[in-house]
Amino acid sequence: MILQIMLLCGLVIFAGLAILAKDLLKAALSLAVASLFLGIIFFRLSAPYAGVFEISVVAGLITVLFALTIALTRKDGEVKEARLVKIAFPLFFILFLIIDGLVMKSLLQKVPSLPAGPEGGTFGEVLWKQRTFDLVAQIGVILAGVLAVLALFRKKEEDKDE
Amino acid sequence: MSNLWFLYLFFSAILIFIGIYCLLTMRNLIKLFIAIEIISKGVSLVIVATGAVKHSLLLAQSLVITYIVVEVSLVATALALIINIYKKNKSLDVRLLSKLKG
Repeated sequence: MILQIMLLCGLVIFAGLAILAKDLLKAALSLAVASLFLGIIFFRLSAPYAGVFEISVVAGLITVLFALTIALTRKDGEVKEARLVKIAFPLFFILFLIIDGLVMKSLLQKVPSLPAGPEGGTFGEVLWKQRTFDLVAQIGVILAGVLAVLALFRKKEEDKDE
Repeated sequence: MSNLWFLYLFFSAILIFIGIYCLLTMRNLIKLFIAIEIISKGVSLVIVATGAVKHSLLLAQSLVITYIVVEVSLVATALALIINIYKKNKSLDVRLLSKLKG
């Protein structure tokens, strides 16, 4: 239980660092470390497949994409944030912690949830047989993403030709 | 087990709060996108924790994997958009986008 709380605290701390860090690259790296913590939490919850995806894809691939974008926009991409944002953050954060602690417990008892019951089979059976339509949707989403990226970068080349 | 569920939901609510706070107050486009990532972490934590507590972890895992794939696609598209916006405006300031005329 203590280890779980420490991992969750680490996740929140690095998520906080990701938004408070002035340097964008440090923010992206903090986000990667937060993803790493989340992956370990998934492993601890005995969800190894989700953990592997979280660490390899979110902590790995997305961080690389962020670092690439930051490198491409670094020249004069700095934006001055309002000073009040960082000063007001701890205040709002503590306020939210109090509200969260008070509300969440009573909310858990009131919100209706799906009936709990043990599920049979393996992960492969659930993913490939029960959720087959999800996989089709995933292929569609990936194709849409690839086409969108291609379209976004092709437009620029056409402009140059003109 | 209910205490454990409370703990995970408590922390995921904090993550979602951090993300929403950043979305509402920051001006840098990349920072805004980092905020969306933090919110998505909170959501996937809720899904897996609820799956673990309600004994439907396999279903929760498959949903989280689908969610991660959607997230990657979203990130790739959005970052390409951000690069295009930067090339056009020479800035990542989100306030400059309000000057666009469609």
